[in-house]
Amino acid sequence: MTKARSLFNRTGRILTLAALMLAFAILSVQGSAPSAPAGDDSGMPRADIIRIDGLQQFGRLERPAVVYLHEKHTQALSKKNKDCATCHLPDKKYMSTKFKRLKDSSKKEVMDIYHDNCTPCHRETAAAGEKSGPVVCTGCHQEREVASSWKEIGLDKSLHSRHVKAQENKCEACHHQFDPVAKKLVYVKGKEDNCRYCHLSQTVDNVISLRLTAHTQCIDCHRKRLAENKDAGPVFCGGCHDAGLQAKIQKLKDIPRLMRGQPDVTIIQTVKSGGEKVEPFARMSVVPFNHIGHETYSSSCRSCHHSSMDACGKCHTLQGSKEGKFVKLQTAMHRVGAQASCMGCHDRFLSDKRCAGCHASMPRRDPPDLAGCVSCHMPKPAAATPETEPKVMAAMLLEARQPVTATYADEDVPETVEIKALSKQYEAVKLPHRKIVQTLVKNIKDSKLAANFHRDPGTVCQGCHHNSPVAKKPPACASCHGQPFDGRNLFRPGLQAAYHLQCMECHKDMGIEKPSATNCAGCHKEKL
Amino acid sequence: MSISRRRFLGWLGAAGVGTTVGRSAHAAGNTHFTGHPDSLGVLFDVTRCIGCRKCEEACNKVNELPAPPKPFGDLAVLERRRRTDAKTYTVVNRYENVPGARGPLYRKIQCNHCLEPACASACFVRAFAKNPNGAVTYDESVCVGCRYCMIACPFEIPTYEYDKAFTPRIMKCTFCHPRLIKGQLPGCVEICPAEALTFGQRRNLLRIARERIGLFPDRYIDHIYGETEMGGTAWLTISGVPFRDLGMREDLGTTPAPELTKGALSVVPVVASMWPVLLTGVYAISQRRDKIAREEKTAAVAEAVAKAQAEAKAKLTETMAKAEKDKKAAIDREVKKALEEAAKAKAQESAAAPTAAAEKKPS
Repeated sequence: MTKARSLFNRTGRILTLAALMLAFAILSVQGSAPSAPAGDDSGMPRADIIRIDGLQQFGRLERPAVVYLHEKHTQALSKKNKDCATCHLPDKKYMSTKFKRLKDSSKKEVMDIYHDNCTPCHRETAAAGEKSGPVVCTGCHQEREVASSWKEIGLDKSLHSRHVKAQENKCEACHHQFDPVAKKLVYVKGKEDNCRYCHLSQTVDNVISLRLTAHTQCIDCHRKRLAENKDAGPVFCGGCHDAGLQAKIQKLKDIPRLMRGQPDVTIIQTVKSGGEKVEPFARMSVVPFNHIGHETYSSSCRSCHHSSMDACGKCHTLQGSKEGKFVKLQTAMHRVGAQASCMGCHDRFLSDKRCAGCHASMPRRDPPDLAGCVSCHMPKPAAATPETEPKVMAAMLLEARQPVTATYADEDVPETVEIKALSKQYEAVKLPHRKIVQTLVKNIKDSKLAANFHRDPGTVCQGCHHNSPVAKKPPACASCHGQPFDGRNLFRPGLQAAYHLQCMECHKDMGIEKPSATNCAGCHKEKL
Repeated sequence: MSISRRRFLGWLGAAGVGTTVGRSAHAAGNTHFTGHPDSLGVLFDVTRCIGCRKCEEACNKVNELPAPPKPFGDLAVLERRRRTDAKTYTVVNRYENVPGARGPLYRKIQCNHCLEPACASACFVRAFAKNPNGAVTYDESVCVGCRYCMIACPFEIPTYEYDKAFTPRIMKCTFCHPRLIKGQLPGCVEICPAEALTFGQRRNLLRIARERIGLFPDRYIDHIYGETEMGGTAWLTISGVPFRDLGMREDLGTTPAPELTKGALSVVPVVASMWPVLLTGVYAISQRRDKIAREEKTAAVAEAVAKAQAEAKAKLTETMAKAEKDKKAAIDREVKKALEEAAKAKAQESAAAPTAAAEKKPS
């Protein structure tokens, strides 16, 4: 006994010592962490990485392209009270984005401009005893991997609104159009377009690329405002393009509606390829479209109007046209997976936890489930006449279609369902049926999108009672699911798997962790 | 006996001709094999597996395998990557943090019951059989314990009872062959609560797999593992993540294992039956050639000797004749010389005689 105690004692001491040493080790590691050198070469992701590889246009590069960190240079110059003009020459209207030149004349000249300007400056700075850049070839010309935090920026409605305010409603400050007669840029009220419609990713003829547009026009304006001590946007790379800083850009809470002649409500106009409009209801039930409602769901007009501010049907005609890249109206509206199509956008919401429980296990069919057509395509209202204007017609139709997630009265929904399929091994499972239905309905109650597609009280039931007609008393699971591996119903799981897949998949998709799938007793009480 | 270059090449040529003849004859008799008609299989759907280890438990029970050290309900076992062993025909492994997966994924491992099994093709005593129902079964009564099957299997499935000194067996999943014969489901399939294992005719399983992939293209990788791997397997797998992320080999190709060794192995009977005849023939021919050469050589030597002897004789005769002639000539010459000398002496004598007579006369 004494022996045992002394053994415990000794073990205890050794353990304590070990624990102390471990704690000390951890503390010392933690202590040293903040003292790691921070600064330019800290390896933090940057948004100002420029690859100087312009000589590629004259042929293969002889040395690796230079990885140039723009902000490192602007900071160094600002300390010496030097500005952009140190490196960038003034062009016709704006400052050139090229280094010390206006155009790329020849390989030799462009190369010399860099070598004759970079190196002397680096040398002078170094001679003055300051931290400076390389002066030998390989100092700049080397393969470098710098982590990037660069993110594309767009003018969302909030940012646009702030610009409108700053420019005192002078749209012409930015928006312009090319007048082919006068051969100059003019502003046309009510014809404002998104920059990207004309300024593409590459310069085409006289229309400069979006990149060049933004880096001349935006920055020029920001600089002028800064010079006037006015509230101005960023002039350095990270201000617009650093993912972290971008997230910090002030968002307006109440964004005034952007007016550009759009209707509040309209009907989706179908157009034949020649431009001839199809009379509403001439062929199909029409789709009323709540334009003003959709404006609040998207951050920019560009979400839907991807290439022009025209109505969808203008380019996406019934048969497809060259302007619409031969994407027919049907495809443009229904294609799941497309960014700007109705169903493409609606479909993205289905991955939300509140929707995924039912929808993740529903296959996306093409053409879509025909029962869903009537959610958008509506029959002709009784009050409509051939003279009824589209706006009025749309208003009438939308009036008739109040988005409400409907469900059966509580007493019509069984409170519990007893499942006795495994009654030999376990007690019967009491499925809290009504609670499940109520939860599903509660989850989507506030969603207008969901409400539009769950107008029928039986629709929510279809999440589980699938592949059968909508009914107040839908068939029980066992009506279709029975013995597994039935050659006559190849694709149909057996009853046990049907229950388990339905419950487990839904729980997984909705992020419900308890009971875990492997915890049998979580649902099945052991038989005593 | 040393081998000349020429002879060696001769043998090589003969062997080569023998081999090509045998191979083309074999190829002509072979057709493309896509499995026994209506053979059975199992489709494992990774997206459905919940990692409950019920299949392991059922397998252990129906195959009457020894109880494991930890109970099947203990899911902590999944923390370690396991493989099949002599006491375990099937294991489920967990894969955490797989890119593109929402949570941990599970993969069941067991014999895939290849349409053309590598184990069977490697076994020289035919201990493995591919049954028309799809099961690859093992006959311990003929096994010699060489374990070639273990090396041959691309899925590392067959295991060996190393702990048995006298009657070690190869152990692997039997597709519950005895149960299939009785019309029962394999143990693992029967117990799976989520139908992660779908049982049926292999051709139907392929249809089911394609249906699932087609209806949920975002949920599945567009590939049925085992449809073509190593010429196809009876057990198929579909998954939402690349198969390599679940430890499954993607480098197996579509050629069945026997196909890979067929060329070499098909030569074996030819080598066994034809090479002795051929090489004996080659040997006999070369022997005969040797014999003839030897005889010819002897004859030539004899002839040469005879000729030399004849020549020597002739020369001797000639020499002798010449010597005789010389001798005769010498004799003649000597005789002639003697005669001349005799005549000369006689003449001198006759001249001196009157003188002597004269001298004698006065006296």
